[in-house]
Amino acid sequence: MEKQAGAADGAGPNRNPWGSPTNGSGAGDAGDSPTGSHVEWCKQLIAATISSQISGSVQPDFVNRDNKNLSALRYGAQVKMFQNQVPLLPGETINTTVKDVMYICPFSGLLNGTLTITDYKLYFTSVEKESHFVLDVNLGVISRLETISVPNQGENTKGLELVCKDMRSPRFAYKTDESQPDIVEVLNKHAFPLSHSLPLFAFLYKEQFPVDGWKVFDAAAEYRRQGLPNESWTISKINSTYELCDTYPSILVIPTNITDDDIKRVALFRAKHRIPVLSWIHPESQATIVRCSQPLVGPSDRRCKEDEHFLQIIMDANAQSHKLTIFDARQSSVAITNKAKDGGYESESFYSNVELNFLEIPNIHVMRESLRKMKDVVYPTIDEAHWHSAIDQTHWLEYIRLLLAGAAKIADKLESGKTSVVVHCSDGWDRTAQLTSLAMLMLDSYYRTLRGFQVLVEKEWISFGHKFSARVGHGDENHANSERSPLFIQFIDCVWQMSRQFPAAFEFNELFLITVLDHLYSCLFGTFLYNSEQERMAKEVQAKTVSLWSYINSQPEDFTNPFYVDYENHVLYPLVSSRHLELWTSYYARWNPRMRPQVPVHQTLKEMLILRAELQRRVEELQREASSHSLSSSSEHSPSPTHTTGTPLHTAV
Amino acid sequence: MFSGKPIKPTFKCYLPPVQTDVKKNIEPPIKKLDPKLLPGEIVVNEVNFVRKCISAESNQDDPWGKLICTNFKVSFIPQEAPSKQKSQLSHLLLGEHDIPLTCLEQVVTVNDTKGKKKVLGSNQKLKFNPTELILYCKDLRIIRFCFDEAGPESARKVCLAIAHYSHPADLQLLFGFEYQGRRYHESKGERVNGSTPRGGMQTPIFDRPSDWDREIKRTSASEWRVCSINESYAISPSLPEYIVVPVSLADQDLKQYSLYFTDRRIPLWCWNHPNGSALVRMACVVDPLQQRKIDQRIFTAITKSHPQRSEVIRSDLDKYLPNIQDIQSAFVKVRQICVLDPFEESEERWLSSIDNSRWLEYVRAFLKHSAEIVYYMEGKNVSVILQEEEDRDLNCVVSSLVQLMLDPHYRSLIGFQSLVQKEWVMAGHRFLDRCNHLKKNYKEESPLFMLFLDCVWQMMNQYPAAFEFTEAYLTVLSDSMWIPLFSTFLFSSPKQRTQHLMDFAKNKAIPQGEDQVVYFPPVWEWSQQFSIKDQTLFNNPMYVGKGAACVQNGEVKTFKRTKQKTYSSTLRGTAPLMRNGLKEGEDTLTRRGSLMSELKPEFSAVKDESPSERFFRDWFSRPADQQGLLIPLSMPSHLSLWKLFFLRWVPEACIPRGGPITAYHKLSQLVDEIEILQSKLRQYKGPSPGNTPLPSPSGPPSDQRRMYFKASSPDDPPTPPDFLTSSFPFTPMGNLCRRSVYGTPISKFLNGARIWLSTETLANDTV
Repeated sequence: MEKQAGAADGAGPNRNPWGSPTNGSGAGDAGDSPTGSHVEWCKQLIAATISSQISGSVQPDFVNRDNKNLSALRYGAQVKMFQNQVPLLPGETINTTVKDVMYICPFSGLLNGTLTITDYKLYFTSVEKESHFVLDVNLGVISRLETISVPNQGENTKGLELVCKDMRSPRFAYKTDESQPDIVEVLNKHAFPLSHSLPLFAFLYKEQFPVDGWKVFDAAAEYRRQGLPNESWTISKINSTYELCDTYPSILVIPTNITDDDIKRVALFRAKHRIPVLSWIHPESQATIVRCSQPLVGPSDRRCKEDEHFLQIIMDANAQSHKLTIFDARQSSVAITNKAKDGGYESESFYSNVELNFLEIPNIHVMRESLRKMKDVVYPTIDEAHWHSAIDQTHWLEYIRLLLAGAAKIADKLESGKTSVVVHCSDGWDRTAQLTSLAMLMLDSYYRTLRGFQVLVEKEWISFGHKFSARVGHGDENHANSERSPLFIQFIDCVWQMSRQFPAAFEFNELFLITVLDHLYSCLFGTFLYNSEQERMAKEVQAKTVSLWSYINSQPEDFTNPFYVDYENHVLYPLVSSRHLELWTSYYARWNPRMRPQVPVHQTLKEMLILRAELQRRVEELQREASSHSLSSSSEHSPSPTHTTGTPLHTAV
Repeated sequence: MFSGKPIKPTFKCYLPPVQTDVKKNIEPPIKKLDPKLLPGEIVVNEVNFVRKCISAESNQDDPWGKLICTNFKVSFIPQEAPSKQKSQLSHLLLGEHDIPLTCLEQVVTVNDTKGKKKVLGSNQKLKFNPTELILYCKDLRIIRFCFDEAGPESARKVCLAIAHYSHPADLQLLFGFEYQGRRYHESKGERVNGSTPRGGMQTPIFDRPSDWDREIKRTSASEWRVCSINESYAISPSLPEYIVVPVSLADQDLKQYSLYFTDRRIPLWCWNHPNGSALVRMACVVDPLQQRKIDQRIFTAITKSHPQRSEVIRSDLDKYLPNIQDIQSAFVKVRQICVLDPFEESEERWLSSIDNSRWLEYVRAFLKHSAEIVYYMEGKNVSVILQEEEDRDLNCVVSSLVQLMLDPHYRSLIGFQSLVQKEWVMAGHRFLDRCNHLKKNYKEESPLFMLFLDCVWQMMNQYPAAFEFTEAYLTVLSDSMWIPLFSTFLFSSPKQRTQHLMDFAKNKAIPQGEDQVVYFPPVWEWSQQFSIKDQTLFNNPMYVGKGAACVQNGEVKTFKRTKQKTYSSTLRGTAPLMRNGLKEGEDTLTRRGSLMSELKPEFSAVKDESPSERFFRDWFSRPADQQGLLIPLSMPSHLSLWKLFFLRWVPEACIPRGGPITAYHKLSQLVDEIEILQSKLRQYKGPSPGNTPLPSPSGPPSDQRRMYFKASSPDDPPTPPDFLTSSFPFTPMGNLCRRSVYGTPISKFLNGARIWLSTETLANDTV
């Protein structure tokens, strides 16, 4: 049972041209007519959430055909953008086109068509029974290629399964032919460019956006927004050449009263030299969120005077409390075992007035396994009888709960306890990033705006060295690498859970979150490439690639939540209970056409916003008319009625 | 006794006098705590210095006050005037701490020091002085009172009185019969004779031929007629007096056929599809030898009533759907998980335990089966007969769901109420037995109506703009089942209703010929329970807003039209490309047949697709028109727990400043603003365009505004008000206080409670 058969790839700007950013006046874009916006919205959501795998032999995917071609046409008026009916991004080139390929759709059977492989995507088109079918998979999303057996088809028929990172595994069958290049070979090369000494597609992509997303995040500006520097905290350039810590950003906020020598000693005592630095400061209490890695205590319970002093200074910087709370994200048993590996945790007896809490969150390998199980639950078929129990057995929601609970504890410590907190796990770039960014999202309404959220991700994740390259495995064929783990997905899932509980508190919408996750893999933008700021500087990412935020911010209205009201001074604690945590089916299960999300409420609201704007315009018009009529007859005039109402209008209409 | 009030002559006392004889052996409280009583309501027993437990952990904030049992409710009057909480729907007839006796599921007394507990029934003895009273309510509240400072004897008596009065011996003893009699006479002066028929109520009751006639006309069921052979319930006590039958069947035939049906229930017309197919419900034929003959005649008649003479199919619901006991036990389990089990304990495997209760599975089964029926009527253009042994339980659920899916009229508030009236009340659903108002026969108890409301909620959840009413309305409606003041949920059959109401009228000296809707109103007269303002919480802004956009204003229509044009011109631009796409398609088609045909059998997922699956897929592949046919998605993943209903009292599950209500808040404001603008627009346009004596434009008067939340002024903070929680318009505060008694989770205790009804204490307590 699917709705509006999908065709677009669910990612990539070709689905939705940033087009005319000035279309507020209705410059032909469907976006501002009631029907238009409705359809446009549907299209976007469906394109993003519903499979490209449906339709086919069944029902003409009418809407998507429009959508696809419409957007592709709008995208480039230049015809050269199209080759053999394949829409191309600027900078994209076709590598091979293979005819008579069979797409084995798990939902609607077999489809015969043409497969095109570019350096960015795999594009399969088929026309059967008057229905136009398109499957568009960007190569970045492919985790591995598997050959599958195609029964009874003779030697020259091969089967291929693309196991993807985003919970789907499309399968194809094709006949090998001397005259045609081998699909697997071509795919292998371009899906895993780094393993074949080829550049990532982000470096070839030549799109021009009217907005430069690289300008979204400026660390110094963000700290200024937080009221920094102040007498206790300083914006330091000590890491400007990444010498102190090669995985930290160049700009750090550290206590004022500490010498560079002491800092260097602290760096030696912390794993990967990731010293305690400020992430966020409470505007009233001055309580801070500080992040770092584990102390290198080792089996002999080593101490470091400077480290102890450092934490003391952090505590003293907050006059409201004479305590400091350390949240160690790990399971306490693991933290103890880490001592044997020269790691460990702060001893409460050595650090005075420090309270240590373990948040008991399992490691990256557990999370990877949990998501793997989830894929079995949602793709390709769903066991109707045991759906809920099957979700329970993946433990995915349980880990989401642990994370949100940990973040809420941190936020509460700051807000209610007015106490500064130090957050770390082992290296301070996985669970730490999850916890600090979620806590900041709860505490600071700025991060709940479209812009602020981008800053949050840029800051807590990208600049502080979450190893995106290693965790996602961009362009790398080694799919079994144990470094891979869906930590960022987990974080976005937590954000989605919060947005479900507070439907009016976030400026961005679900499409935004899904888009971010799609481009986590796509390698179209430079945003999530590489492991650290240092690496990105070396690769000149900002000069040579486009930022995801350029794309997003060129059409913010599509990613805006029409319910949004600014909960400006509210700390939002999500209710950390299984009763309110849900499986994000419109992301995880979107490839299954039977999992079509419900009619989005947003669409109705958008229509109403448009209606209101139109009515407002009409009232004003009539008012002008009336007042010009009555100007001569009456000097007494009622106050302007249009100003009696003022529910803020957050969507561009 | 009776707080000094004389016993009213009409009050039938069914408590032995000895028990009502309370000795005032405790000092009156410093402050006089007067209960708020309804006309005809009498205090039977009361106890002072009672603590109402509002939190399981500490009793610091617990309010102290007086606990009262009346012939209508259990009432707690706090010593300190409660700070007026804005967060609650205020009921006009019940206070914040009031529980109607009919709403009590179980009355449990506990003696903490002796380790004794007992579930109290009617007319029972209690050999210990209770230190605690726990009231388990049918609306899922759990309310606890402590008697640590109260007079032990008074406490005991109040507990016994509550238990006794909540087990009325007879239907006529339900307080509604007292109250409505009084109300009728007291408000006589206000009613001008015959000025507004049925007190201005718009919901058709289906107790007269005209209501059915209108329904026949509305659905263009020209081959069906109203038949009055059941007048004065001459044929069947459980059928309404007027029913709709095929025109080809004569009264005489029907009378004859009726002999062969369970309870003499001849087939009952429910609804006609615009394509002519009819929905009919029917009981089983008792005599198997006659079955074929009767079936054939009925089928022929229904076929004749179809404009295309299309065939009739029968769906035997007993075969495909869970029975009433299954449904009851699923509800008991899901209730247990949601409100009884300790919160933390059920966190771990929450989804699995919801699965295990099977409640959602049953909800899904009903939705799915109803959708199948929709397929036959809409997709195959055939008439459908719903058959069930008695035609009074499962048929009610399925027939009303089918109509909700097919006919948008029933998704309006009045339409929905008329649907309940037609398919439940008049069709003879045994509300009295299924609700177990008299707490007599637990085997007959089953929450079928609740199941139906949950199904409606699931549809509402999937299609948020399709219904005129909100989930708050559904919840309030479910609560009203437990308030015995309205005629809707009190009876098990139309005949029973008529008889009781006639007796009632006679007893209360209500003039003959007076309309029973006037002297014993149905629940649909919402102004009895809620203020006009509170009733606006029933209005769905998305539905109202859409209505505003399409029908009301000429200007808006123009606006829509022009915009549509813009859109289609955009589409036109893509035409050449679409052609190209098709051309390529033709090429592909000619080449087809090589690998395709070879692989198809092994991989095709759709080869054994049934016509109904195909129908659904087609439907789902088109954008849904929420004002048209509506088919709910019914994969397990599409159904979710109705949180407002199941979790509204659970303090741990309440999201401060969150929940769907925050979106509702914003939407309501928006719609209110739109309505203000529209009203202004109308004023500007005025009756005579051109000359404009400029009116001072303002919004519609506040009593006519349809949204609960008004458009904000620029000075208002945009944030939703603090009192909004995911439980709004209800509050968990003091409404759910579970605590284990001596380490035994109260849930375990309750599981076995029925068995212990007659024993004084638990087996292990006596040791």
